[in-house]
Amino acid sequence: MATKEIFNQISPSEFFYRNRDLAGFSNPTRSLYTAVREFVENGLDACDQQGIFPDIHLTIKPVDAEKPDPKPYILTVKDNGPGMESKQIPMAFGTVLYGSKFGLKQARGMFGLGATMAILYGQITTNKPVTVVSSVDGKTQHEYVMMLDIQKNKPVIVKHSAKETNKKGLSVSIVLEGDYSKAGSKIRDYVSQTSLITPYATITFDDPKGDKFSYKRIVDLMPPSPTIIKPHPHGVDVETIRRMIVDTHYQIPTLDNNMIEKVRKELGLAKKNLNFDGIMAKAEKKWSSLSRPVRVIVALMSFLKMDFDKIMKIRIDDIDLAHKHLTYWDFGESKSIMVEMPKSSPYYKQLANTVHGETIATFLTKRFQRVGQATAVKFTEFAGLKAEKRIGSLSNDELVQLSDSLQKYEEFLAPDPSCLAPLGEEPLRKGINEFFNPDFAEVVQRSASAYSGFPFIIEMGIAYGGQIPGGKITTYRFANRIPLLYDEGSDVVLKVVNETDWSRYKVKNDAPLVIVSHICSTRIPYKTVGKENVADRPEIEKELRLALLFLARKLSAYMSKKGLAEIEKKRSNLYQKYLPLISQFATELAGKNKEPDYKKLIKDLNMNVETQK
Amino acid sequence: MSKPKSKTEKIAAAKRDSLLDLLKTEGSKIYTDLDGGQFPHLYVPSRSVRNIVYDKKLRQYILGKAAGLRSSKNMAQLRSFTQLIWLAFFAKRLVNEKKSSTLRDIYYSSQAFEMDFEDQPESDNIIMDLEAVLARPREDFHIFPEERSSVFGDLTIEYTVPGYEGRRVNLSDHPDGYLIGPSLSSAELVDTSAELVIAIEKGGLFTRFVEEKVDKKFKAIIIDTTGQAPRSTRYLLKRLRDQMKIPVVILTDGDVYGEHIAMVIKSGSANAAHLRELTVPDAKWIGVWASDIEKYKLPTIPMTESDIKRIYDLQKDPRYQEGIWKKELEVFLKIKRKAELEAFSKYGLTNITDKYLPEKLELAKSL
Ligand SMILES: Nc1ncnc2c1ncn2[C@@H]1O[C@H](COP(=O)(O)OP(=O)(O)OP(=O)(O)O)[C@@H](O)[C@H]1O
Ligand SMILES: [Mg+2]
Repeated sequence: MATKEIFNQISPSEFFYRNRDLAGFSNPTRSLYTAVREFVENGLDACDQQGIFPDIHLTIKPVDAEKPDPKPYILTVKDNGPGMESKQIPMAFGTVLYGSKFGLKQARGMFGLGATMAILYGQITTNKPVTVVSSVDGKTQHEYVMMLDIQKNKPVIVKHSAKETNKKGLSVSIVLEGDYSKAGSKIRDYVSQTSLITPYATITFDDPKGDKFSYKRIVDLMPPSPTIIKPHPHGVDVETIRRMIVDTHYQIPTLDNNMIEKVRKELGLAKKNLNFDGIMAKAEKKWSSLSRPVRVIVALMSFLKMDFDKIMKIRIDDIDLAHKHLTYWDFGESKSIMVEMPKSSPYYKQLANTVHGETIATFLTKRFQRVGQATAVKFTEFAGLKAEKRIGSLSNDELVQLSDSLQKYEEFLAPDPSCLAPLGEEPLRKGINEFFNPDFAEVVQRSASAYSGFPFIIEMGIAYGGQIPGGKITTYRFANRIPLLYDEGSDVVLKVVNETDWSRYKVKNDAPLVIVSHICSTRIPYKTVGKENVADRPEIEKELRLALLFLARKLSAYMSKKGLAEIEKKRSNLYQKYLPLISQFATELAGKNKEPDYKKLIKDLNMNVETQK
Repeated sequence: MSKPKSKTEKIAAAKRDSLLDLLKTEGSKIYTDLDGGQFPHLYVPSRSVRNIVYDKKLRQYILGKAAGLRSSKNMAQLRSFTQLIWLAFFAKRLVNEKKSSTLRDIYYSSQAFEMDFEDQPESDNIIMDLEAVLARPREDFHIFPEERSSVFGDLTIEYTVPGYEGRRVNLSDHPDGYLIGPSLSSAELVDTSAELVIAIEKGGLFTRFVEEKVDKKFKAIIIDTTGQAPRSTRYLLKRLRDQMKIPVVILTDGDVYGEHIAMVIKSGSANAAHLRELTVPDAKWIGVWASDIEKYKLPTIPMTESDIKRIYDLQKDPRYQEGIWKKELEVFLKIKRKAELEAFSKYGLTNITDKYLPEKLELAKSL
């Protein structure tokens, strides 16, 4: 049995079930919080991508209010986004690693796994199905009730119905084991902080205790949606390159009926049967008009010396260009046969091109951003590779060499940041002012930078005084508009904040001070799949530092001014106290009955104080 | 004023009136400033070491020309400016109501007016500021020291303090002597038969001198300075010299501190450089000199480190650059020993009055 198990393939679902800790589903407290996050973020992502002001409604209701925590809760998240095509729903919500956000652009979702993990967790703990209701046109809405087949990574549709509606959007509802008494404060923090970094969204939360938390949209400006872009040369590793090369290959065409039909048609032999030589002669005449796949089939036929009937009874197994061998499986004779491919044949080159794919230069210019023809040529010189070499013919060593050189070559322009969607300084400032009601706020958006080929932008805000409580400096961390609430200990943003010597900026360590940090990137270097803390990449750390430095200087300038104002106030108080006394004493010393008119002096002082503000 | 004023009363009243005038002048300046929308200010003669200079003609330390602007416009000075005006105001009340007070009284009185003195040294300092501004000793505005020395001898005074106005007392009526307190300080000196004032450093010797009738034998007024003479005592000494024309001699322990006690009576202290009313320039130090220690074979005590250091310090003082002042310092430094006044008791309790004093007084004539 033991040996058999080794060959048992586990499905991705099962893999993630086994590794659910990584994805943030470790216990009822954390799981409830994570599930909320996954659905809210999906709703926001969907709206963002369509430029719709999000209106998200989150509800958590206990199945049985009397039971003590942990207990089953019904979690529902409803959005006003674009919804999802009916037939895609089972796949998107019923399988893991199915998502629309793998492309290189900024989104909250990254792994194509969040929603499904939450659904999976709910099903495992309560054995209840998930309900998804979606409408893409605002006329018809589809409702799916589904269970997931963990073993097969496949949804089981319990019920599917359609009915009329007048609202676009999608709503997901699951039943899951949770502990709201413990998770509540984190969930409320999450919702309120989300409203801070998404000031263009309206978010409401009906909590299990019957409390309603409502955050209205405060800015009428949505950040422009980002565009999808090709990878930057610095952002790929050997494995990625290997995958990209496979994608570029012209697959050796399968010799099925459809394909043979196509070849006959292009050769003008749809109705006519010719022998091998006849076919070859015809092909030579028509060569220039033939499509690429057809040329490949013709080349193969030339070596196999077969006509249409014969070629339909074999399967091509291998094309070994180095040894000029072509191997095929003959279904009729049930054996593997190898034939020679003479290099002299004009068809050899045709086949070689196909199998080896495009040249390195073409591969680079077509598949990467920031690589033009000239850069590609210069780069290949740097890498010690021939620009004209076919990408498919690279040996393993050469592939590593290519990959290493892509990392090392410094002449590539920085990654294109158009795939990023920072919030913007004004919305951030508004969000901060609304949220904290401070005496002073300043924000900054750094220009785009990159780490390992992934572009990123740091946005940061600082707020002081007003309704901010003192005691300690609080840092609000966001990444791609997600609040990060757990695992703060090891986060790079906190590292940067903690290493700042605040006394240099006239700020005490217990000042009523808040820092809001937002990292936007096509790939946030999270330490875990749970998306809670950001690893310290030197490039990111440097940008964070520069942003904080800028803000700290602004704060320091404000503090100096404030200091002056305070001195003015003190001054005014002193004079209010002492001038009347001086007046009283002088009156008696001078032997007068009436006090002098010293009030003018105090009035002047007040004016001074006011103009200083 | 029911009864006609005596001469002394008139003198006292004139002095008081001139002080009140001075206060009124200062007060009016401030009043006018305030009324005209100006921040009032004052100039306070600087009492910093750099502004204390030795005046060869006066033979005493005086303040130089430097004066600090104390302005209510300067936030840092606002409080001390107010304190100074308050003190002037309070002084006026003291003088008008003929009440006396002490440095400590002032510190506590200030609290009723929220003057916010941090401690007594701060209020003492403001008192010195006012002395400097008015160029009058604080006794003139009825602020007296706590430490009190005594006086004995044929001297008739007339009180000016409330309740005793016009009453006269002869200071030889009580053998313990009379405290040199506020009422004595403000009293007028009316009459005396004395031809000499002997200021003596120690209470014990003062009592001996009274017992031995030094006042009669030498026609002297005896004053106990209780160590370094308090300002009221120096003030009395000055008045005895200036008003009653009686020469002053000083008798101290035979050490460097004693020599300096005599010097302060003669030419003042740096501390009171802002006042010129406290010196007796022709007062004579008659002993105990360093050279007397040898001459009279007095029992001695070795000098301490600090005694010796003090000698070196005083050698830098311009007043110690000539005469016996210079010579005696040198002898002290040479013998490195000192002797107290009581040392004469070795030769009998009356040795000092019978033998030493007459010899020294005789010698003093040639000083
Ligand atoms: N509310 C929604 N409206 C429209 N499409 C949605 C919505 N929720 C999910 N989707 C689609 O379903 C896909 C799968 O979602 P899922 O949360 O599993 O993965 P993800 O968001 O891409 O990545 P991550 O694992 O990081 O959350 C998404 O990529 C998106 O295309
Ligand atoms: Mg998601």
